Amino acid sequence: MTGASFQRGRDLRGDLSLDVDAIVVGTGAGGSVALRELARVGLQAVAFEEGALSRSGDFDQREDHMLPRLFQEMGGRTTEDFAIRVLQGRGVGGSTVHNTNLCKRTPEPILDLWARKYGVAGASVAEMAAAFETIERDLSVSPMGADVRNANNEVLRAGCEALGWRGGPLAHNRVGCQKSGFCELGCSYDAKQNALKVLLPQAVAAGASVYSDVLVTRIVHDGARVTGVRGVLLDAYGVPQGAVEARARVVVLAASAVGSAALARASDVPDPSAQLGRGLRLHPGAAVAGRFDRTIAGWRGIPQSYECTEHLSYEEGSDRRVWIVPAFAHPIGAAASLPGFGASHMAAMRAYPNLAVLTAMVHDETSGEVLAGDDGRPVLRYAMTDADRTQLARGIAACARLLLAAGAREVTIPAIPPVRVTSTRELDALDLSFVRPHSVPLTAVHPMGTLRMGEDPARSVVRSTGEHHHLRGLFVSDGSLFPTSLGGPPQISIYAFALHLAPHVIERARG
Amino acid sequence: MTREAGRRFSRRRLIKAAVAGALLLGAGAAAVVRTRGYAVPAGRTLAWMSPWQYVVFQHAARRIAASDRPEDSSIPSADDLDVAGFADGWIARMPAAVRRDLGRFLAYLEHLAPVGSGYASRFTRLSPADQDRVLAGVEASSNDQLRAGFEGLKSLVFMGYYRDARTWRVIGYDGPMRGRPEGGWR
Repeated sequence: MTGASFQRGRDLRGDLSLDVDAIVVGTGAGGSVALRELARVGLQAVAFEEGALSRSGDFDQREDHMLPRLFQEMGGRTTEDFAIRVLQGRGVGGSTVHNTNLCKRTPEPILDLWARKYGVAGASVAEMAAAFETIERDLSVSPMGADVRNANNEVLRAGCEALGWRGGPLAHNRVGCQKSGFCELGCSYDAKQNALKVLLPQAVAAGASVYSDVLVTRIVHDGARVTGVRGVLLDAYGVPQGAVEARARVVVLAASAVGSAALARASDVPDPSAQLGRGLRLHPGAAVAGRFDRTIAGWRGIPQSYECTEHLSYEEGSDRRVWIVPAFAHPIGAAASLPGFGASHMAAMRAYPNLAVLTAMVHDETSGEVLAGDDGRPVLRYAMTDADRTQLARGIAACARLLLAAGAREVTIPAIPPVRVTSTRELDALDLSFVRPHSVPLTAVHPMGTLRMGEDPARSVVRSTGEHHHLRGLFVSDGSLFPTSLGGPPQISIYAFALHLAPHVIERARG
Repeated sequence: MTREAGRRFSRRRLIKAAVAGALLLGAGAAAVVRTRGYAVPAGRTLAWMSPWQYVVFQHAARRIAASDRPEDSSIPSADDLDVAGFADGWIARMPAAVRRDLGRFLAYLEHLAPVGSGYASRFTRLSPADQDRVLAGVEASSNDQLRAGFEGLKSLVFMGYYRDARTWRVIGYDGPMRGRPEGGWR
């Protein structure tokens, strides 16, 4: 093994063969923590990342440049039926590079539910507290006050206040923020305190190695325990240019609820209870735009610093499962979201500076599935339930109501055909039964739940320690672990669970 | 499985089969005629698209990114920004299955979508106004897969169009802070 460092796989020649104590697949929130903790106790650990290694100077704030660099399938990943666009990170740091820094702990009712119904042990609020506190300190998490609230977020706050709805500021992991508003395209100013900036450098400093441009294609095992992974080195165009073979007692899957599940399925990981890959949750969301007389310029400033939780309950089966946050997009994203085409579309785009945009994300109960596709791409199968569809419609209506309450002259629901309302009376009269996947553009950024943890092997894939029920040495350390959706941003939950479970990974890696 | 669930499942499969059939028919029709009558601009080298695909995409891009003020020559057209050429380079880097889907959708748009809107002509031979009607028909199709195909096409067109600083002033966007010229992006 080469010395501890960041290695660009695209610059390597020939094949790569390694013998280490532990291999981490994926370098996002979960993988970066697992790697750091392994390295800090002196174990030889290596992380493989399919995408590129970027530095702040590479983030040029252009959508057409950053989508291919930072997102799976160049930002074009969708569910199998094309109904939901699924934005997922690709590159060293994973989705922590392009996310908007939202930090919320796993809600207490969710942890209680996981313990009570899904048999998750050792992860109560009290038992998780230390992990949350540590990770929040490591990432410099702090509340985003009114002084940094941009106009789009101010619209949400004003709407909440006017309606008397529950809302409040969010906490973020940013230091030295320039308020450029380009967070979703990577931070040009190194202000994001994320896996790329904080945790992976700490891991490398402790002796770990991080390889970019390595696509792991198979977990090697004998049916009872893992022995390593196989993969390929990719060149700058993503074309395989060499073989990778690494051997270790422990393999940690941290390639997201999509990537980890697809890899496990492609590797014939034992699955006697047919749970592997199932339970996919997405937090599918729809955006609603309000046109104001005043300039909003929603692309400027911190994108998501305020939330509305009026319609959000974490109780299972609740009919209030909508989380609302601002969702302004840069021109390419906005153009794709606004309804129509041609002259009418350009006319709508001229109002771009006057738009405020909110999104309603469903704290979903739909259970989807991830499969390994024939061409190596994961297949995301997700058929939204009627109950979730109802929540989506309510969320869209709530966004429209907030925008009108904040003073929007007109609200557009980007359905086909588009729906426009100018008053609450029109909104009240609106029949929202048309809302369903394919009738409104849906986006998801929070895949979860495909390798669920729990003590019962019949209902879960891994133990509460994160280790696979049947394959010794195979651990999961990403959002795949979660038995249900969270109803909020998952990054802190992923970081914290990775930290919470790391002692089990370390124990196994030590043999 | 309940009877209702069974009905839904069957109906969904039926629709999927019908769409697959239509797309295959489109691909088949294209296979017969797609190489005739399509010319790319002299000197144009294509990364992935075949000439017929490039021309169909170019026609669609002109309409999807059409200006609301055609008399204003300062608003760049899709051709000015080489949207089709950009899309060719973009799609060349996408997974093979995505390229295949786009190819099938372009074949459908060229040969079958006009028929669905009452035209006995290829899409690329229709007037701009008629092309708009065909595109509107696809956008509002009762078929989910066709609507999704249109949304994918539209996203690609707008990626090619709004990537260019010349479009930003049209919509009042001041562009990236990084590398911003002293006088702003133009």
